[in-house]
Amino acid sequence: MRLAYLDAGSGSLIVQAVVAGAAGMAVAVKLYWRRLTGRFRRRADAPTDND
Amino acid sequence: MVASVEPASFRDPSGRVFYRDGQVFRGLSPVAAQDWRALAATKFFANAVKAGKITATEEAEKTDEWDVVLKHERIPFISYPFEWSFAMLRDAALLHLDLLQAALAEGLTSKDGSAYNLQWHGASPVFIDVGSFEPARPGEPWAGYRQFCQTMLYPLMLQSHLDLDFQPWLRASVDGVEPARMRKLFGGARRFKAGVLKHVHLHDAVQSRNARSSTGEVRAELRDAGFSEELVKATVRAIQKLVRGLDWQPPASHWTAYQQTCTYSDADRAAKVEFVEAALPAKSNLILDLGANDGTYSRIAAKRSDYVVAVESDAAVVDKLYRDLRDEGERRVLPIVMDLADPSPGIGWRGRERASFEQRAGADAVLALAVIHHLAIGRNVPLPEIVDWLAALGERVVVEFVEPADPMAKRLLANKPEGLFPDYRRDVFEKLLGERFTVEHRAELPSGTRTLYCGVRRAG
Repeated sequence: MRLAYLDAGSGSLIVQAVVAGAAGMAVAVKLYWRRLTGRFRRRADAPTDND
Repeated sequence: MVASVEPASFRDPSGRVFYRDGQVFRGLSPVAAQDWRALAATKFFANAVKAGKITATEEAEKTDEWDVVLKHERIPFISYPFEWSFAMLRDAALLHLDLLQAALAEGLTSKDGSAYNLQWHGASPVFIDVGSFEPARPGEPWAGYRQFCQTMLYPLMLQSHLDLDFQPWLRASVDGVEPARMRKLFGGARRFKAGVLKHVHLHDAVQSRNARSSTGEVRAELRDAGFSEELVKATVRAIQKLVRGLDWQPPASHWTAYQQTCTYSDADRAAKVEFVEAALPAKSNLILDLGANDGTYSRIAAKRSDYVVAVESDAAVVDKLYRDLRDEGERRVLPIVMDLADPSPGIGWRGRERASFEQRAGADAVLALAVIHHLAIGRNVPLPEIVDWLAALGERVVVEFVEPADPMAKRLLANKPEGLFPDYRRDVFEKLLGERFTVEHRAELPSGTRTLYCGVRRAG
């Protein structure tokens, strides 16, 4: 994969979804929803002390 | 002749700009060469070059070091965003966005968004960083957005929303103004001004919360969440709309105050125009007009020169001059904002990435009309220093000396302790000028308190 020479800034990439309007907002919501559910999934999968 | 590398072109390692025999070249790595071929095949590129919106570019003879070598037309005088007025930065920003929009329509994007991607042909902006275009990757936002905010959108917001001159901010940092700093300036109700909530507050908040995620991870997340090409286009449209809506006019009181700094009788004015017309060579490449004011003498100089740079410290005056020149379609007079007593230093890496004004000058002739007294009395710069500086800027000088008895000089002297400048006299100035220049013409203006000189720099 080709990498950009410039650090575009991770936040600067995400905020563009919001700048793009309603359809972009939906993408941002989806991204954060996935992060949230991903965190729960990871927690559920995490090994406990009993293992 | 040995090539010299452009000190500012190291940021993108896939290419390098260099100079040889007075011409400008760009060496491209294998990857950059592929991008160039993609760009050269587009319609928008050909159209933009034809319209003078992208710098004229052709393939040149290849060297061992690079896959492809491009030759660019030479920009007559390199200027920097911290020397531009509000309307100049705004027009430059709109050109950047227009080109990005046209590129996106043909499957390309720009990998950065810096104000330094742009230069000028007089009052027309031109995009110079041809290496900035590359094929767009589906589902990825614009990589240049942050840079665009920091070097163009935020400075425009500072001026438009807060009536704050943006030039010192850009001069202080080659990377522009960071979102976190902007956020502090736009607290309270100011956050509701156009574009501020999203581009400043939200931008900074999201940035600080995602500081630990890499841009690679975030790009993948956005793609998975459905970020599309259409959204990139919508982003660019939204920024265009915002920038078009930003405007700035100086307060009316500014002009009233400014009028008082220009005191000339009609007879003086006519004699001065006549002297300047006779003093300038029939043909030259570059003339600098220091203290250009409304550009009267820059326009006269433009009749004899391929290019004129009108230097003026008052950003509002430069902005008005730029708007006038732009509306006339002038492509040979470039107005810039610069305080003559504090000229642009070298900035960026080692202070060399962006050259100082003095390094960029190299003019055939320099006009210094009604400026010496401002430097000598107003700013305490010693006369020998001023004459040395003029000699460093150009071959020929057309300079005006205002005697202490002149009403304008009196007004400046009134703010300083009496007897502070015993050497500020015409005979002293003439002696100093004669040491550095061969004085060809000399004329006293009808008012009797102002003298004009035309000199050619002495060798050595």
